[in-house]
Amino acid sequence: MADVILAEHLTKSYGKQRGVIDLSFAVKPGEVFGYLGPNGAGKTTTIRTALDFIRPTSGRVAVFGLDSQRDSVEIHRRIGYLPGELALYERLTGAEFLQHFAALRRGVEPAYVHELAERFDADLSARIRSLSHGNKQKVALVQAFMHRPELLVLDEPTTGLDPIVQQEFHRLVEEVRTEGRTVFLSSHVMPEVEHLCDRVAIIREGRLVAVEDVGDMKAKAVRTLDIHFAKPVAADAFAGLPGVREVAAQGDVLHLTVAGPLDAIVKAAAGYEVVDLDSHEPSLEDIFLAFYGKEEA
Amino acid sequence: MAAVSTFRASMLSTVFSKTVRDQRKALGWWALGLAGTVLMYSAFWPTIRDNASQFNKYIDKMPEAFRNLLAGANYGTPAGYLQSELFSFLAPILFLVYAIGAGSRAIAGEEEAGSLDLLLSAPVPRRRVLLDKFWAMVAATFGLTVVMWATVVALGPLFELRPSIANFTAACFSAFLLGAAFGSVALAVGCATGSKGLAVGAPSGIALVTFIVNMLGPSVSWLKPWRLLSPFYYYAGHEPVLHGLEPLHAIVLFAISAAALAAALVTFERRDLAA
Repeated sequence: MADVILAEHLTKSYGKQRGVIDLSFAVKPGEVFGYLGPNGAGKTTTIRTALDFIRPTSGRVAVFGLDSQRDSVEIHRRIGYLPGELALYERLTGAEFLQHFAALRRGVEPAYVHELAERFDADLSARIRSLSHGNKQKVALVQAFMHRPELLVLDEPTTGLDPIVQQEFHRLVEEVRTEGRTVFLSSHVMPEVEHLCDRVAIIREGRLVAVEDVGDMKAKAVRTLDIHFAKPVAADAFAGLPGVREVAAQGDVLHLTVAGPLDAIVKAAAGYEVVDLDSHEPSLEDIFLAFYGKEEA
Repeated sequence: MAAVSTFRASMLSTVFSKTVRDQRKALGWWALGLAGTVLMYSAFWPTIRDNASQFNKYIDKMPEAFRNLLAGANYGTPAGYLQSELFSFLAPILFLVYAIGAGSRAIAGEEEAGSLDLLLSAPVPRRRVLLDKFWAMVAATFGLTVVMWATVVALGPLFELRPSIANFTAACFSAFLLGAAFGSVALAVGCATGSKGLAVGAPSGIALVTFIVNMLGPSVSWLKPWRLLSPFYYYAGHEPVLHGLEPLHAIVLFAISAAALAAALVTFERRDLAA
């Protein structure tokens, strides 16, 4: 089966502003594909080009093997979209808003709309204007999922959602994956992508830094490890171990920066009396550093 | 939640009907205001008519430019009265304000509000969205025309205001064509630029300049040829309320709308939309 999304040397420039530069990646059928990068990296630009709201400066995007510009209507028929900047019809109620989009899309089962609204605990009777950002987001999510599209394009889907609704969203993405449908999800939060996605593309300053299996990426990711010993331990004992990038001693505590598995370090630490061991989740910046480190090598 | 469970045919089933629905409250107020104003002028008619000679003297004493503006005004006849009170100034201004507002909101307004992306993510071509919003603007402007027409035709006789129906209809239709033309230009500017401010400003500026050109044209010799470029000339130059519709003039107004719509379709189809 063809790639669901295929970007080939996609470049979009806006005068002096940064757009995206020479992006190439493929999203496979049935996968949850993460698109990770800080705000302003070009995530939304990529999505808006694929959906034909803006046109590439060079290169192309194909969705379902169809041309993003020539076949945009057919592509739109088969996708569900959640915009990054939420702007819904403020004067409509949630129900009216969904009714309008259901009419434009056709083939929407009212029962499924109800089910989604209940799962997200979305208030459909209030005017959208009166809803908080999180509650608007719920209505917009129902809109994206309600026609069971083959591909969901979700731009920062969990912004403003409370943790319970986030969990429900995660379950829904799981269901979509189980049914063999595809999800393209942009995010600036690593744990979310790690939790949901099979593969992830990392974008920074308009350029693709890496496209990786999430498991591989975690293995490569640099994280910090603080080991609190009963007595001061020389940094040298750990400096040469595999994966250790940096070591600094501070009293009884060793601060290590580590890439890859912790096995050698844990085994070395076992030779001393360990009081506490603290591992920090890698931040997005740390992950970028890991990939830049690789490039420099 | 009953609304969702049925998805029955409603005002929300197309972009056209939703655009009209969005306007229903505003349109109600416009209709009420327009009918009220027209009714007020109708009520003045018996008094004005009985003192027509005095009022006509006022017109004769006016500067030439204003007399041009009121061309065809005559306080002794219903048609002349309507020409001076309704068609010289009030109707064109109201129709222009409404149509330019609707035309500028159509695409540029929705784009600036940020909801255009989501709308276009539905399987509806840009062309379809644009045409739906165009027809909504035209339909609403036409609706206001009908309100104005019906107020005079139905309630005018209460005040003995009985213009020739054919000619009065022609004048109303001409005002509708003028409003639709400027509304279409607003829509086109909004489609080409995505700026609601420009979409209001450009046609308003054009309206002001061409209104003045048409007003001064007959008395300022170097302006005279330029009058032919003024939509207001085609709107009122042939005095439809006195003589009926001049087909050629109506076609020119119609052509302005058609050309603006064509420009809107071409520019909107090709342009990057603002995020």
